[in-house]
Parts: sequence; structure tokens; C-alpha cells
Amino acid sequence: MLKVSGLQAGYGAVNILWDISFQVGDGEIVAILGSNGAGKTTMVRAVTGILRPSQGSVEFNGQELAKKNARYILDHGIVQVPEGRQLFTEMTVLENLEMGAFNKETKAHFRENLDKAYGWFPRLKERARQAAGTLSGGEQQMVAVARALIGMPKLLILDEPSLGLAPNIVDDILEVARTMARQDGLSVLLVEQDITKALACADRGYVIENGRIALEGTSAELQANEHVKKAYLGI
Amino acid sequence: MSTFLQACVNGLLMGGFYSLMGMGQNVIFGVMKIVNFCHGEMLMVGMYLTWLLHQTFGLDPYLCVPIVAVIMFCLGAVIQHTLITPALGTKSFTNLLFLTVGLGLLLSNGALVLFGSEYRSISTSYSMTYINLGPVTMALPRLISFGVLLVVSVALFTFLKYTTVGKQIRAVSQNPVGAEVVGINTKRIYILTYGLGVALAGIAGALLTGFYTIFPTAGASFGFRALIVVVVGGLGSIPGAFFAGIFLGLLETMVALFISPSYSDLIVFVTFIVILVVRQLIVLRRK
Repeated sequence: MLKVSGLQAGYGAVNILWDISFQVGDGEIVAILGSNGAGKTTMVRAVTGILRPSQGSVEFNGQELAKKNARYILDHGIVQVPEGRQLFTEMTVLENLEMGAFNKETKAHFRENLDKAYGWFPRLKERARQAAGTLSGGEQQMVAVARALIGMPKLLILDEPSLGLAPNIVDDILEVARTMARQDGLSVLLVEQDITKALACADRGYVIENGRIALEGTSAELQANEHVKKAYLGI
Repeated sequence: MSTFLQACVNGLLMGGFYSLMGMGQNVIFGVMKIVNFCHGEMLMVGMYLTWLLHQTFGLDPYLCVPIVAVIMFCLGAVIQHTLITPALGTKSFTNLLFLTVGLGLLLSNGALVLFGSEYRSISTSYSMTYINLGPVTMALPRLISFGVLLVVSVALFTFLKYTTVGKQIRAVSQNPVGAEVVGINTKRIYILTYGLGVALAGIAGALLTGFYTIFPTAGASFGFRALIVVVVGGLGSIPGAFFAGIFLGLLETMVALFISPSYSDLIVFVTFIVILVVRQLIVLRRK
């Protein structure tokens, strides 16, 4: 399980995250909600080691991971589907998926994990030899999710999966995450602007405002919260 | 007709070197988006290394190729690690421009201090051997060089296309953010890439010594041509660079044959400018 406490991070002299603390249990789906510029993606970058946090701790299954490098954190099972997908557009779908196998263990299990990924997203099998950049937005998001699953995550971080995609495709992708959480005990951290969709999928949620956790609760509690209703749901 | 065929063959044999230089430049540009302005000087260093190995150990210049490649790879890796990677961090194109141009000046003037301005050459038992193929005559060293550089080109292409490290290099060149997300160590890839690019220039230098004179500024014309090859063949494209290099070699010899050898540089650069202008017009038309 992931336990983040007192996380601070930023770029140069500009601090973005002030004090971020949250937890994700095994097999749990936790949503991190917030509007544009609230610090969600910075939080993802700090947790995954792409950005070194200036303070705080990221504890995962008893291991301290804050200030470790990105590769070390991947090796420990935290894999993200980044905002904007970040595929290798001129490489084939299959090559993109190969890039998801970053260490000995994931390379050894590549074949079976590839079959599993094709099972979740059959369309990728048909498109395996096609350049990733020629795929539709939804298919590209599937490649990004499949690439992360090939990294055999214990915690999957989905950063803005709804960005620029048709609602039914977002539902498909969230359904895969849900099923994997229920069946395989995968923990999921869902980082979203689309609060309605995120709370419909998640067990619990946290709201980030100005780089701080402003609210937390179960999905039902947050859906009923007056502040959330007013500020985010427009009710 | 036979002079035309002869010119074609000469152009092809020379063009291979421009291809090799262009491909090295393109690997570096593709990954780091920087132009290596000391690429020609790296070729010159490769030439002097071959000459030194030949003088001290009596090694055949073609046997020097793998040794030169390894030494140049290490040189490139050290330069990347100590100078270019820190300069990349400043995100300033000017810094990188001055850095690589300065390195080039340092290398060519260093060679001047160490080896003097004399023209040197390596003569082997087969330097003066010519092969006749119908109406065409080819110097044996040029032919061997071309054969070796074809093998190197195919090897480079295969390496980038099929090996894990090759795929990682392409991944970093297409999307550095995505590469970090999947745990690729981009700094390590930068070191490999610059080493690889410099090694390719060194190989070109070693292959040239069989029939070309060695002097401190021998690399300059190849360095310029590498830039043309990269622009004509497409930034970052390895097959593009290969064919653009051959095209450039053919163009040079055709100009020398039909107009005058003294105009070949002029025509090459005019063609370059014309291609740039035409391409810009096409881009504007599309918009």
C-alpha cells in the first residue's frame, strides 16, 4: 500500500505542492481530484520520481521511495499512464508496448502480459504493426494503459485518462482498471479533472486545491459535499 | 558515356562518406536536438588516430577501423558526460553552439600544434591498385572503403531498428518525457548516442586515410556536407541521410564533369539553398 505524507515539490524556486498526504490501500481505487493547475500532475511526477520532491515521504509496501530515481520506483511496482499519453508516435504499437518492459522480470513475462493486454484491448492486436501516431486518441490511450500494464504494476497511476477522449472510451478504460483492482488486487490512483466520472469509479477520493489536500472522504461523502457540489459539479 | 559512368561511380564512392557523416550527425540531432558543429573535426581526429596507429604499429588502415571506432566512441562519451549534458541543462541553444564550434576549433588547432600543417598520407601495398569493371576504373582503397561503410550503415540501421538499446534511442528521440515514464535513463542514452555519432565520424575518417590526405582542417568540408545531408535527408532520419549523402556525392561529380571541378562547392551550396527555399514554399503552400 502507498502512503504519501507531507509531500512538497516544485520546479526551481517555484513550489507547487505544499503539503500532500494520502493513502491507497491494496486493491483500492483512490481518486485525486482537482481543477487545472491544482498540482495533480506535479504530484504524479513527484510520486513516480520524475521530479524529486523537496520534502516528505512516499512509502510503498514499507519501502521509502521519496528521492529515489524513476527507474527505482518503477522496479518497485509504481507505474503511471502519463497525462497526454506520451507514446512514441513513430514506433509501432508493439514497439511501444515493448518499451513498457523495463527490467528483467517484466521482460521475462512480456509474452503473457502482452496477451493479457491484448485481452483487455483486442483492437491493439489488430494494430500491432501500425505506427502509434496513426491511431485514434482512444486507441492511443489504450496503448498507454497497455504499456503500463506490461510493466506489471502493483499501483497503477492514471493521470487524466479522460483528457480529450470520448466518454464511452473513458468508461472502457476505467472498467479495465476496476476489474483489475477487484480481481488482481491492483491498487489504482486515478487523477482526474472529471469529478463525476472519477467518483463513480473510485472507492475514496482527495481534493487538491492550490497544492494542498483540501478535502477527503469516500466517494459518496464527496459527492454529497456542498463545497464539491458548488465548486466542481456546478450544482 | 564511359566518362559519365566513371563520374557516377566516383560520386557514389564519395557520397558514401557524406552518408556516414550525415547519419552520425542525425543520430545526435535526433536524440538531443543539437547540431554537432565539430562533427567534421571528429572525422579529422579519426584520420590522425589511424595515421598514428599505422606509424607506430604498422597497422593496415582498414584494421584500424574498429580500434578507431572504439577510441572515438569513448572520446564522444566523455565529451557528452563532462561538457554537453551539463550544457543541455541550461536549455540554451547558444551555449551548445559555442560549445561544439569551440570544440571543433580546439581539435583542429590541437592537431596543428601536435602534427604540424604538413599533408600526410598513408601508403599501403594496394594504394595504387586499380580494378577495371568494363568501362569503369576504381581505386581499390576507395572500393574497400565503400564496402565497409555500406556494412556500417546497415549495421547502424539494424541496431536502431531491432535492439533494445536502439529502440530506447529512438524512444528518447521521439518523446523524452515518455522515455522517462517507462524508466529509460535518458542521460545514459545521451552518452551512448553522442559516442555513437562521434564513432561514425571517426570510422569515416579512418576509411578516408586509404586514399585521402591528412591535415588539420581535412574534416571541415565533410562537416559542412554532413549538415547539408541532414537537412536534405530530413532531420533525424537515418535512411534519409544515407540517400542524401549519395545524392550529394553524385551531384558533386556531375558538376565537376559537366561544368567545372572548381564550381562543385558553389553548385552544392546553391542546390542546398534552393532545396531549403523550395521546401519552405511547399510548407507555406500546405498551410
